[in-house]
Order: sequence, then C-alpha cells, then structure tokens
Amino acid sequence: MVNAPTAVTALLPVLLFALTGLALLLIDTIRPSGRSNTSMAVVSALGSLGALGATAWLVVSGTVGVDAGAVRLFADTIAVDTMALFFIAIFASVTALVVVAAHDYFHDHANPAAFYSLVLFATTGMALLAVANSLAVVFVALEMVSLPSYVLVAFLKQNRGSVEAGMKYFLVGALSSAIFLFGISLVYAATGSLLFGDVAEAVGSLDGLAGVAGLGIVMIVGGVAFKTASVPFHFWAPEAYEGAPAPVSAYLSSASKAAGFVVAFQLFTEAFPVGASVGANIDWVLAFGIIAAVTMTLGNFAAAVQEEVKRMLAYSSIGHAGYALIGLAALSAGGQANGTVMGAAMAHLLVYGFMNTGAFLFVAMAERWGVGRTFADYAGLARRAPVASTAMAVFMFSLAGLPPFAGFFSKYFLFQAAIDNGFVWLAALGAVNSVISLYYYSRVVKALFIDDPDSPSALDAIDVRPTALYAAVVFAAVATVLLLPGFGPVIETAEAAASALF
Amino acid sequence: MIDVFSYVPAIVLLPFFSFLVALGAGKYLPKGGAFGGIAATAGSFLLSLWVLATVAGGQAANRTIYTWASAGGIGPTDVELTFGILVDPLSALMLVIVTLVALLVHVFSLGYMNDEGETGLPRYYAGLGLFTASMLGFVVADNLLMAFMFFELVGLCSYLLIGFHFREPGPPSAAKKAFLVTRFGDYFFLIGVVAVLATFGTAQFAGPESFPALAEAGEVAWTPGGLAVDTWFTIVGLLVLGGVVGKSAQFPLHTWLPDAMEGPTPVSALIHAATMVAAGVYLVARMYGFYALSPTALAVIAFIGGFTALFAATMGVVKDELKQVLAYSTISQYGYMMLALGAGGYVAAVFHLTTHAFFKALLFLGAGSVIIAMHHNEDMWDMGGLKSKLPVTYYTFLAGSLALAGIFPFAGFWSKDEILYEALVHAPGEPLLFGGYLMGLLAVPVTAFYTFRMVFLTFHGEPRSATARDPEPVRWNVKGPLTVLGSLAVVTGVINMVPVQKVLGIEGIDVLHRWLDNEWGGIEGLSSHHYADLGPYSSEYLVGGEVGTVLVGAAVSLGLALAGLGLAWRLYGVPSPTEHTAKLGGIKDVLYNNYYLDELQVWLAYRTEDVAGVANVFDQGIIDGVVNGVSSVSLFGGNRIRRLQSGVVSQYTALLTLGLVALVLVLGVTGGWFL
Repeated sequence: MVNAPTAVTALLPVLLFALTGLALLLIDTIRPSGRSNTSMAVVSALGSLGALGATAWLVVSGTVGVDAGAVRLFADTIAVDTMALFFIAIFASVTALVVVAAHDYFHDHANPAAFYSLVLFATTGMALLAVANSLAVVFVALEMVSLPSYVLVAFLKQNRGSVEAGMKYFLVGALSSAIFLFGISLVYAATGSLLFGDVAEAVGSLDGLAGVAGLGIVMIVGGVAFKTASVPFHFWAPEAYEGAPAPVSAYLSSASKAAGFVVAFQLFTEAFPVGASVGANIDWVLAFGIIAAVTMTLGNFAAAVQEEVKRMLAYSSIGHAGYALIGLAALSAGGQANGTVMGAAMAHLLVYGFMNTGAFLFVAMAERWGVGRTFADYAGLARRAPVASTAMAVFMFSLAGLPPFAGFFSKYFLFQAAIDNGFVWLAALGAVNSVISLYYYSRVVKALFIDDPDSPSALDAIDVRPTALYAAVVFAAVATVLLLPGFGPVIETAEAAASALF
Repeated sequence: MIDVFSYVPAIVLLPFFSFLVALGAGKYLPKGGAFGGIAATAGSFLLSLWVLATVAGGQAANRTIYTWASAGGIGPTDVELTFGILVDPLSALMLVIVTLVALLVHVFSLGYMNDEGETGLPRYYAGLGLFTASMLGFVVADNLLMAFMFFELVGLCSYLLIGFHFREPGPPSAAKKAFLVTRFGDYFFLIGVVAVLATFGTAQFAGPESFPALAEAGEVAWTPGGLAVDTWFTIVGLLVLGGVVGKSAQFPLHTWLPDAMEGPTPVSALIHAATMVAAGVYLVARMYGFYALSPTALAVIAFIGGFTALFAATMGVVKDELKQVLAYSTISQYGYMMLALGAGGYVAAVFHLTTHAFFKALLFLGAGSVIIAMHHNEDMWDMGGLKSKLPVTYYTFLAGSLALAGIFPFAGFWSKDEILYEALVHAPGEPLLFGGYLMGLLAVPVTAFYTFRMVFLTFHGEPRSATARDPEPVRWNVKGPLTVLGSLAVVTGVINMVPVQKVLGIEGIDVLHRWLDNEWGGIEGLSSHHYADLGPYSSEYLVGGEVGTVLVGAAVSLGLALAGLGLAWRLYGVPSPTEHTAKLGGIKDVLYNNYYLDELQVWLAYRTEDVAGVANVFDQGIIDGVVNGVSSVSLFGGNRIRRLQSGVVSQYTALLTLGLVALVLVLGVTGGWFL
C-alpha cells in the first residue's frame, strides 16, 4: 500500500532532479530566447542544491534514518535508506559543482541547454539507482545513467576525440549492460525473484542452483565493475575521461563512479548477503578482492607513466575505485568490522567526490585557458593563477592521502577497518599503491609551483578569469580541507548507514 | 561566584595574542608592539595573582579542556590525548614567577631594545610574546604530552630569540647550537613520553588515573620484554630526564647556554635564566611522584646536579665577559636545583627555583643595564668604577650578587642552605648522593668567588676605559624592573625560613613548605609529604640532632661563601685589579676552554658522521634500492599497461570478456559450481 504523500516525500530528491531536468527542457523549448547559458546553469545548480537540501531535510526530520529504517515504496521495489541518501548527497554536490563549472566551460557553445538537462537526467538515474530495491529497477536506473553519459562524453560534436571516446564508451557500455542483464536473468532463474529481500532469502537455499546463481552474480559484479571503472571493465575509462569535456570527466569519474558503488553496496548487502552467499559457495568477496587488488595496482602503475594530466587523473580515478572496492572486498561473514569498512569506503567516496571533481575542474580551467594538456604545459601556472594552483595542490595531496587533508583520514580509516576485519594484505597493497600515487600527484604540484615555463610567453594564454569555474574549484578545495575537522560526523553517519545493512 | 580557573587559558592566550598583534601589526604600532606585550603580560600577571589567591583559598583545578584524539573521536586509539590545565600550589607559584619576570623583561626591553634603536622590534616582541605564552602553557599543562609540546615551543622561541641579530655571524650559529643540543635531549624526552603513554595508557600528571598514581599502585598496562617494573620506571624516568638535562643545561648538554648569551640581554634574563631553563627542573618537580619511586633515577639526578653545580662554577671563575659569568652561574645554580630534587628536597628545589628566578633575572637585567651604559662592551676588564655612575644598578646588582653567593640573609642563602641540608641529611648510605652533596658544597666558595670577582671588576676600582669613565645613563624603564627584582632578591627568603623555625622553634614561618604540602589546599597526591612518603630516603642527623645539623650545615656553607667572597675581595677589590688567572697554571687553559667539552662534542659529532656514513650507505643502497626498485617496476608495469590500452575497441571487449571468464573460472573452481 503506497501512501502517495510518503512516496513524494521520500523520493523528493529524486523528483527534484527529474523536475529540474524537465524544466530545463521546457525553458529550452518554449522560450528559446531565454535559453542563455547562464540561466540554464543557474536553474540546474539550484535544482541540485534543492535536492541536496531535500536530502538533508529527510535525514534531519527523521523521515529516513537509522532508527526509522528505510521507507519502502511501490511493492518494495524502492527503498529509501540512509545509505541511499548519503550517496544522493554526493551526487547532488558533484552535480552542483559540475554545472557551475560548465557555465564557463561551455561559454561559447551553441546549445548548452542539452548538456545541463542530460546531466540532470543522469543524476536522476543515479539517485534512482541509490534507492532501487529490485534488480529490474537497478537495470532501468543504470541505463538511465548510462545513456545520457554516452551523449555527454561525445558532447563536443566537432571534436574528434570527444566523439571517438563517446563511441568507445557506448560499445563497452553496451557489452557490459548485456552482461549485467544476463546476470540478472540468471539470478532470477535461480531465485525466482527480483526483489532484494526475496533474492537474499532464496540465496540461502539454492538447492543445486548455486552454479547458476553464482554465474549470475559474477556477471552482476561485472556490471558493477563497468560502472565503477574497475578492471577488467575499465578500458573505456581512460579514453572517455580524456576525450570528454573536462566537466563531464569530473562528473563521470566522481558521481557516476559513486553510483556504481551505491548499487554495489546495496546489492551485495541486501540481495546477496555475504554470509548466505559464502554459505552457498558463491565467494563474491574473493572476486571483489581480486578486482580491488588488480584495479588499484593497475590504475596507479598506469597513472605513473602518463604525460597528460587529464589521462593521469583518469588512471588515478581507476586506482581510487580500487581503494573503494576494499569496502566490499574486505567483508567477511559475521565480520565485526563489516559496517566500519563499508562506512569507510562510503566516506572515502564522499571525500573523493570533492577532491576528484575539483581536480578535473582544474583541468577544465586549464582547457578553458588554452594551455596544453601535459605536465610540462602546466609549468609555472602558479605564478599566474596562485589561488587555483593552491586548490589543485590541495586536491593532489588529498588524493595522495597526505595529512592534513581529508583524503588522509578517509584512506586511513578504510585501511584500518580492512585490517580490523582481517584483510591486512589489502590494506598493505593499498598503502604501497598510495606511495606510488604520491609520485605522480606531486609531479603536478611540482609543475605548477616549481618548474619554469618553456617560454616566457607560454602563460600569456591565461587572460580570462572564468569566475564560475574558479568558484567551483575553490569551493571543492574548501570542502576538501573542511572535511578534515568535519570528518567525525561524516564517518559516523557512513558507518551507521552501512552497519544498518548488516 | 566567579570560577577563576576558567580564566587560566586566558593567562596563556593573552601573550599569544600579543604575539599575533606584534607579528601582524607591529610595524604600525608605537614601540614595535611593546605596549601590547606589556599589557598582555600585565594581564596575565594579575590573573596569575588571582589564581594564586584562589589556590591559597583552598581550591585547585585539574581539568581537561580539549580532547584531540580519543577512542571515540578521530584515530582508533585507546589513549586519550588531551589539552588541559592543572592548577595546584606548584603551578600557581610558577605562573606568578613567569608572568612577573616576563612583565619586567618586557618593560626592561623598552630601555634595552627600543631606546638603543634596534631594528626588527616587532619580531622581537612577537618572539617574547610567543615565548611567554608557550612557557605558561607548559606550566599549566596537565599531562606529559601537552607539556612536551609546549616544551618544544619554548625551545623554538629560544632559537628565534637567540638568533635575533641574524645578520651577525655569532647569533645564528649560537641559535643553531642551542636548538640542536636541546633537541638531542628532547629526543629522549619524546621517547619517554611515548613510553609513559604505552606503559600507563595515560600521561596525566594528577588525579587517581594519572601515571604517577598508577605507577605508585603498580598498575602497569605494558612493559617491554617482561622487564621488571622498577627497572622500567627508572629507564622511563631517565629518558624524560634527557629533555630536562638539555633544557636545564645540565652536564653534558650544558654547552649551548653560554653561547646563547649571543641573544639580547633581556632574552637571556627571561629565557636563559628565569623561565625556560627552569622548565626542566619544573618538569621533574611536576612529575616528582613518578621519580620518587625510582631511587636510581633520583641518585642520578642528584649526582648530575651536584657535578654540574661545581663544574660550571669553576668555569665561571675565569670568564672575562659579564654575561658569560652569569651564564655559567646559571648552569651551576640549576645544578643545585637538580641536586635538591635528587636528594628528595622537593620543596628546597622549588624554593631555589623561585629565589633564583628573581635574583638571576635581576643580575641579567643589571648586566643589561651595564651593557647599555658601556655601549655594548661586555668585557669586565674595560669596566670598573661604575658604582658611583650607576647607583641603582649597583645596589640592585649587589643585592642579586649577595643572594647568588648565598650570603645571609639574602634570598639565595636560605634556598641554597636548604638544598645542602636536605642533601646532607639524606646522604648517609647513598654514595652518589653524598658525592653530589660534596660537590655542591665545594661549589659554594667558588660561586661566591666568581660572583664577587664580577662585582668588583665591574663596579669597584678605577674606571679602566673611556666608556667606563663616562657611561651612558639608563632610564626608568631599566631602573624600575631592577628595583622590583632587587627588593625580591633581598626578601624572598622570608617565604621559607625553615632553619629559623627549627632552631628557634617559631612555628609557621615555613610558608613554602606548608604551601607545597597542600596545607591551604591542592590536589591529592601532589603534596610534598606524599612525595616524602614515596621517596627512598630517611634522614640521619650528624651532630647534635636536627638543630645541630641545621646550625652546622648553615655555618659551613656560610663560612665557605664568605671565604670565597673574601678571596675575591683580596684579589680584585683593589683600585687597579690585575688578572690572577696565570696563577692557575695549566688549569687556566682548561677552564678557559670549558674543559674542552665543545671540542669533545665536535669530535663526537665527527665520529657520529662515520656511523652516519654507514647508515647512509644502508639508506642509499638498501632502502633507496627497494624504493627505486618499486618505482622502476611500477614504471615498467605502467608502460606495459599503457600498451594494453591500444585504442582498439574490439581488443577491449575481448579482454573484458576474457577477464570475466577468468573471474567465473576462479570462483567456479573454488566454489565447486561445475561439479
């Protein structure tokens, strides 16, 4: 029995994203004269902030909470819980940053309205993904995220790199979606249900269907790996991130990746709980362990040899997916620290949302300025743009996990929780990878602050002051720093939300 | 009722604000920010007096103000790391001493720095402000870790202020030396802090859950390798003592203090005489309940103290520069305090700390006044006859000298006498302590001798240079602080007239004893009686019981002091004194060169270089080898991966599918799906 007001209330953030997207289309259609870049950006930013506010309100008012439990709607196909809201907050923050930054990035684009509405629709899909409680909804929502993303990557239609990246992204995405859907059908075949709760019950008593269910679950793991850009489904990521407009790269590598993680966290706690799955000989923890180890190593190794900053960030983003996967890979049946380790992964994704978005937006600013793409091209930028360069240094050190930035604490808690749960090898591997990552992150800082530009005139391109981009970058930097003192509440919320699922 | 203890943080913060103001806006303020510093220290002084009065009214405070790491907060630790305040009779007394001397030094600086047209004054006053704040933070610290942090901060300020004249060659080098030598001691201190935290799970000074209390009860969470608890306590105590020896300039880490005289004279008075150098002694007093449990640590403290007292005094005999004499005298006097602590004379140590703070600050400021008058010439052989030209300076300096020499009835007599008395009655059966006592006793005439050699050379006789004949006059801002401290040097002895009480039987004039014994209130477990119960010593009287021992002890030390004074008078109290150092023969060179200790340290440093060379080879060859190996592997691997990313989508999809198949195979085989 669905109570309409409850449904509206609990889904308010999701609805706000969707309505904002529709409003953008409406403005674009009925008042072409009013479709200025600025008004579009303002409307989308307000919409995302409104959704962020609605999310906060849901938590504060106690409509959804650890105590109140999840709000279940539409015959249990939707479940709004604290973890979903936590991730919706990440999506909303990243979206707000990206649309603000896009205002300057697309300042001379012919029809930016499509960009804003596509971003908002993709975000709607992500939010729906976070609240999904049925495999069918998960798949639909996943496609709602993916389809706008393909278009967004290819948004610069005149740019060969952008179009090629979009095409590759689409092809790999189509294959991954097919695998994911096949996995769902196998799980359905073995368990007879699409609802998370029913699936979980059936996983406990598979009666010889473990192979079918297991195959299905591994395929679903594959689908998740695609969304989070994890090995071996990562091949699209470096090229899509590099070819796409930088705000889109920021959006995909932060929000879209987080969306992959929220669905993974929900699926593998509620539909395939670790105890029942391992009991049925479906050891997906091992699968995630392998994926996490390979992903973080591959991401960091590859990032170390890149010459272009944006591509380096793309690989670093793959590496970070590996860290966050520890949140699933370090689970164990009845493990004391299950909630802690998943909560730490959630907190890491939140921090990552700000620092990674900020880093890509700095790249967007560099593209807007028209300086080149390589490390060498960034040499000496700090002299002309000290504020933005300082912000970039904050992002880099935070991504590397150096104190006193928020990235240090999130990584520290993640590794600590993994050790508590008995996965010392994952934490050790993560630590070694973090050391490697310091090398290529500090290369950026060195280029910005220490190196001399090739020619004195190299920096003359920096004559524009993209205010909105600046604002977004600085805001992300401030958030990265402020999350250090504010880390206590974040980790507590995340751990409470994750623990509620075990 | 107003809770004065909630204002204790303000005592610390006021000078900190003056630091910020001087640093940020000192350029635009009159006198380079001096007035801000004076106002702040005056405020702190008044608050400290209020605190003192409140403590005398029977209250004390042991509060945690801020927990910055705990099990429930950030960091998965069972140990709570906190900032807090501990106000008891000891820290209340120390607060008053520090704020009073800081205030007077700020005022004096107006005369010494501003009137002399120094540049960089905001930097100077910022340094003084930060120093005062750090020192006060150290004094009120309620746990060892917080104390360590502020201990390091005062060390930093000392470095900054010694190197104030950074354009000259001497000060930067002296600053570096001071920093490095004290850091060497602090290194052991840091290990000690960690050891305390690991052993007890807390570093609190006071309360039932404090580490001295836990140590007393024998509740130890951890000792390394099954070491006996007593042995481990001794080791921990000696580790912390490393920091004390460095900061309080005890042998063998005393070498930085004479060099530190390169700093401006008010800085020497505040930091290198009255307060920072006292930090080491104060720290031992603060955690005396812990040291009292370890007879070995106490004996080591006593011996180091006695040895330093004599050793430094002998070097003071041959110095030609006014401040150098005072520097060695400072080292020597802190040796006495260590002797007292090691001998179980907790009150005696605090007493001497108090009197010494006043009379040594006085002597330094007096020296500063002479230096102003002499246009920054410090050589005593160029002075002489300043008595009539600088009467205020002379009489106050004389009061300070009499106190330093331990002449009845000046403040230093009472405190030094009590130290020697405590050492004497506790010495039988304790060879180290007895050795310390003997050296302390021998140092008495030497002290009196070098003190009055200094007085006679500076103020008496005929002027020996043109400047000395026509010295520059000093103003009120110099005379004022001198007068205040001069009076204190005369009368401070009154607070603890134990010998008089014992001999004449007048009860109640041992105020300091009763004060530190929590008679007016304090914190349980932090009283001198408690410490005496814990300590290993029992008293034995030599002749004629207690009264006889008191009288004999006082007579001997006074007699020795007078003998030293008399010798100085005979040799230097003449119109045209000459150097008599040649009579010392070969010893003269040894003393001039400070027993070649600096050379020894340099030699040691070069020997360490050999060890460092081996470490370097290890670092470069093995550690760096591993690191380089990892990086070349990762770069090589990275290149391979880059090649994998060929740009051809069909390859991607193939690899992707193969990867999925591999996953299915791994899980399927381990899970037995295919059976």
